Amino acid sequence: MFLEQLINGITQGSIYAIVALGYTLVFGVLDIINMAHGEIFMFGSFVGLLVVTKAGAPLPVAFLAAIVSTAAMGLLLERFALRPLRTRRGASHLASMISTIGVSILLENLAHKLFGAGNHLFETPFAEISFKIGPLTIYLVQVVILVISLLLMVGLALWLSRSRLGKALRATAENLETAGLLGVDTNRMITATVVIASAMGGVAGVLVGMAFNYINNQMGLSMGLKGLAIIIFGGMGSVYGAMAGGLILGLSETFMVAYGSSGYRDAIAFVLIIVVLLLKPQGLFGVAPAEAKR
Amino acid sequence: MEWLNPYHLQVASFVLINAILGVSIYVTLSTGQLSLGNAGFMSLGAYTAALLSTQHQVPIPVGILAGSLLAGVAGILVGIPALRLSGVYLAIATLGFGEVLRAVLINWESLTGGAVGVAAIPQMGRVILAWASDRGFSPESLGLQANQFISLTVFLILLFSTVLTVTFFLRLSRSRVGRAYAAIRLDESAAEAAGIPITYYKVLAFSQGALLSGFAGALFAHSTSYVSPGDFTYHRAVEILVFAVFGGSEHIFGPVFGAAFLTIMPEALRFISDYRYILYGVLLVAMMIFRPQGVIDPPLLRFFRRKRNGGAQ
Amino acid sequence: MKRNLRVLSVIASLLFALVFMGAQKAKPAAKPSAPPIKAKIGVISIITGAGAAYGEAITNGIKLARDEVNAKGEVDIDLKIEDSTGKAEQALSAAQKLINSEKVVAILGPTLSTEMKVVGPEANASGVPIMGTSNTAAGITQIGKFVFRNSMPESQAIPASIGAAVKKYHIKKVALLYGNDDVFTKSGFDTMKAVTEKMKLKILTVEEFQKGQADYKAQLTKIASLKPDAVFCSALYNEGGVILAQARKMGLKVPFVGGNGFNSPKVIEIAKGAAEGLIVATPWFGDKNDPKVKAFVAKYQKAYGKKPDQFAAQAYDAYYIMTNALKAAGTADRAKLRDSLATTKNFQGVLGKFSFDAERDVVMQPNVLIVKGGKFAIFN
Repeated sequence: MFLEQLINGITQGSIYAIVALGYTLVFGVLDIINMAHGEIFMFGSFVGLLVVTKAGAPLPVAFLAAIVSTAAMGLLLERFALRPLRTRRGASHLASMISTIGVSILLENLAHKLFGAGNHLFETPFAEISFKIGPLTIYLVQVVILVISLLLMVGLALWLSRSRLGKALRATAENLETAGLLGVDTNRMITATVVIASAMGGVAGVLVGMAFNYINNQMGLSMGLKGLAIIIFGGMGSVYGAMAGGLILGLSETFMVAYGSSGYRDAIAFVLIIVVLLLKPQGLFGVAPAEAKR
Repeated sequence: MEWLNPYHLQVASFVLINAILGVSIYVTLSTGQLSLGNAGFMSLGAYTAALLSTQHQVPIPVGILAGSLLAGVAGILVGIPALRLSGVYLAIATLGFGEVLRAVLINWESLTGGAVGVAAIPQMGRVILAWASDRGFSPESLGLQANQFISLTVFLILLFSTVLTVTFFLRLSRSRVGRAYAAIRLDESAAEAAGIPITYYKVLAFSQGALLSGFAGALFAHSTSYVSPGDFTYHRAVEILVFAVFGGSEHIFGPVFGAAFLTIMPEALRFISDYRYILYGVLLVAMMIFRPQGVIDPPLLRFFRRKRNGGAQ
Repeated sequence: MKRNLRVLSVIASLLFALVFMGAQKAKPAAKPSAPPIKAKIGVISIITGAGAAYGEAITNGIKLARDEVNAKGEVDIDLKIEDSTGKAEQALSAAQKLINSEKVVAILGPTLSTEMKVVGPEANASGVPIMGTSNTAAGITQIGKFVFRNSMPESQAIPASIGAAVKKYHIKKVALLYGNDDVFTKSGFDTMKAVTEKMKLKILTVEEFQKGQADYKAQLTKIASLKPDAVFCSALYNEGGVILAQARKMGLKVPFVGGNGFNSPKVIEIAKGAAEGLIVATPWFGDKNDPKVKAFVAKYQKAYGKKPDQFAAQAYDAYYIMTNALKAAGTADRAKLRDSLATTKNFQGVLGKFSFDAERDVVMQPNVLIVKGGKFAIFN
C-alpha cells in the first residue's frame, strides 16, 4: 500500500504545486494574494470539461481551451480589479486582496449559475489504461499528470531565468520602481504575470479533472486555501518553494489519511503553515527576513 | 403592537452580532495586525457557552462571560507567536488557526459532538419569557404576542451589548491605549523607538479582538440555540473581514456600518436571491476600486459633524 | 273562456317544463358548494450555494404538487419560497420572514438537519407547523409539537439495508467510510456503527472524508489493503458517486452499502457502471410497478427534464400530506392544522403508505434496493 499511496501523494502534490505556482508568481510581482486564483482554476476545469464532453474534442484541445479562457480571465482580473487599485493613492494591499475576494465570490456563484451544482463527470479517453510494475498498479493518467507538471515547472523555472521576458518579470518582482526605471514596461509585466499565473491555474484544472474524474464548483475554495498554505510553507514568491511545498503537502495529506486519522486531512495544510511560520517564517525557500518584502 | 415584526428584529439581531464581530477585527486592525482567525475565536466563545449551558446547566450570563474570557485567553496565546508575523503572512496564519480549530471541533466528538453540533442551547428570549411567565407575567399585558416578546428581548440584549462594546472601544481609541495602537499602526519601529511597549499593546489588541469575537459567538449560540462547526468556516472569517474593510477600517463606526449594510442587503435582496452573491462580489470589487478605505472614514464623519453643527465654520 | 284556460295551461306547462329542464341542467354545472381554502405555505429551500442541487429537487417536487393540488380547486395555496443558502442563520431569517411578514399557515423545509435545528425551535415557539421533507438526522421532531417530518431517518433505513446485505453476502468484516463534517452523513455513520456493532461484525477501519473532496484514493487504498467483505458508506450522492467510481477503478470490488444519500439516481449518473451492486434502503423506488409512482415520474420528467429522486418525491408527498391536513382542518389556522397533521394515518403517496407516529416522526416501510443493469431494483 505504501507505494500506491506514494503515487497518490505525488499526483495530488504535482497538481497542488502548479496551483501554488500561480499564487507565487502573482505574489512575487504584485505583493498581493490573488484570492480568486482558486476560482479561476475551477473555471478552467469546467471549460476543459465542456470541450471534452460537449464538443467531443481531444484532450490537448481541452488544455488549450482551458488555458485560453483562464488567461483571459486573468487579463480581465488584472485590468478591472487590480490595476485601478495600483494607481490609487492610499490603497493598501488589503484592498487588492479584498478586491480579489470579491472576484472569487462572483466567480464561484457564476459557476453555479452556469454549470449547476454537484459533481460533473470528466472523462478522459485513456482513463482505464494502467501498467503493473510488480505489485504496483500505475495509471497512465497519473504518469501524464506527473510529466505535464514537471514540464510546466521546469519550463517555468527555465523561462524565468533564461528568457528576456522571464528576466524582466523577475526584475519587476524584485523592485517595481527600479525595473520601471531600467526600461521595463511594468504594466505589461504585471499583466503578463497574472495571465501566466491564471493560465497555469487552467492547466491544473484540467489535470484535476483527469486525475479525479469529477469536478464541482466548490473545488476552487479548498484548492485556493491549500495553495495559500503551500506558498507560505514554501516561501512566498519562490518558484521552487511552490513546487516543493505542493509535493510535500500532497504527500502529507495522503499519508495522514493512510496512516493517521483521515478526519484531519484538510487541517494538515494549515498545521504545516503554522509550524513553518513559527520556525522559519519566510518559508522553506524564502528569502531571509532582512531582504524579504514582508 | 402589530408593527413589531420578529422578522425585522431577527435581522436586526444578526446585524448587532455582526457589528460586534466587525469591531473585533477592527480592534486588531487598528494596530496594523490583520487577523482572519476571528471565526475561530467566535467558535471558542460559542461552544464554551453552548456546552456549559447544555451539559452543566450553567446560567446564560456566566456561560457568555466564560466563553468571552476563554476566547480572550486564546487570543493571548495566539497573539504572542503572531508577533513574528505581519501583513498577509499573519492573515493567512490566523486563518489557518481558525481552520485547525474547526477541524478539532469536527473530530473531537466526545467533547463537541462533532459535525452534529450542539443543539437545544437555551435561547435568551425563550428563557426569559419562561422565567417571567413563572412569575405570572404574560406578554399580552404589554400588547405583545409570545414570539414578538422573545425576539424583542433578544434584540434588546444584543443592542445593549453592542452599544456597550462600541462605547468602550470608542473611548479606548481616544485614550492612551488607543493612541498607542494608532502609533503602532502608522510606524511600528518609530513607535518602538519612542518607547511604546509594542509587544504589550499588540498582544493586548489581539486578545481584545479575540475576546470580542468570543463574546459575539456566545451571544450567537444563545440567539440561534444551535451551533455546529459549519457556522465558523472560512466564509465567516472573510465575511467579518469585509465588514471592516467595506464599512471603513479607520474608524470604529466603519465596521458597525459595514455589518449593518452587509447583513441587511442580502435580506433586502431576497427577491433576487439567485444573483445575490454575484452582486455581493461585484460590490466588493467596486468598493475597493472607488473607495478602498471603506465607506466610513474620518473625513466623512467630520463632514457629518460639521453639517450637524450648522454648517458655519 | 275554456279556450283561454286551455291555452294558459299549455303555456304554463311549457314554462314549467322549461324551468324544470333548466334546473336539471344547472345542477351538474354548479361549482362545489364550499369555496377553496386560501392559505400561504412557506418553503425554505437551498436555492443558491452548496447543496443547491438538493434544494432544487425539493422545490421542484413541491411546485409540481402545488400545481396538481391547486387545479383540484379545494385549496388555493400561495407558495412562498425563500432561500436559506444552506446556512442556518439565513434559514432562521427566512423562517421569521415567512412566519411574521408573510404570515404563512405552515412551513415546508428547511433542507438540512442543521438548519432545522435552528428553525424548528423558532417555528415551534411561534406556533407554526413545520415539516421537514429531507431532514434525516436524529432529534428532529423531538424539538417540539409543531415539528414534523416525512423523510425517513437513517435510523430506520440503515438497519434494513445492512441487515439484508449481511444476510445475502455472509458479511463478517467491514470497513466504514463517512463524511465527518456534515450532520447528515455523521448521523448516518453513527447509526451504521451502532448496527454493525449490534450485528457483531468486525470493523476493520473507520475512514473519514470531507464534503466537496474530489479525491478519495488515499482512504480507498487503505480500505482495499485491509480486504473487507463489504464497505458501509455514509455519504451524500455528490461524494458517494465519486467514491464508488474511484473505488471500482482501483479494484475494490466488494459490496457497498449506502445510507440515505446514496439512493438517488444521480449516484448512477455520476458513477455509471461503477454503481453496479450498490445496496441502499430507501422509501423511494422510482421504478416501482405502481401507477401512482409511474405517473409522478412521468410528470416530473416532463416538467423538469430529469427523473425525480428521493428529495423530490418526499417533497411532493409532503405537500400532499400538508394540504390534505389543511382540507381536514377546514380552515387556514395554524393550531388546527397542526392537530390535523398529527392525525395523518395511512396516507398513500408515491413513497407508499405513510403515518406520523406519536412524536410526529416517520412510520414508513423502506425498500432495500440494489443497482442492477444501471438502475435500482428490489434486492432479495
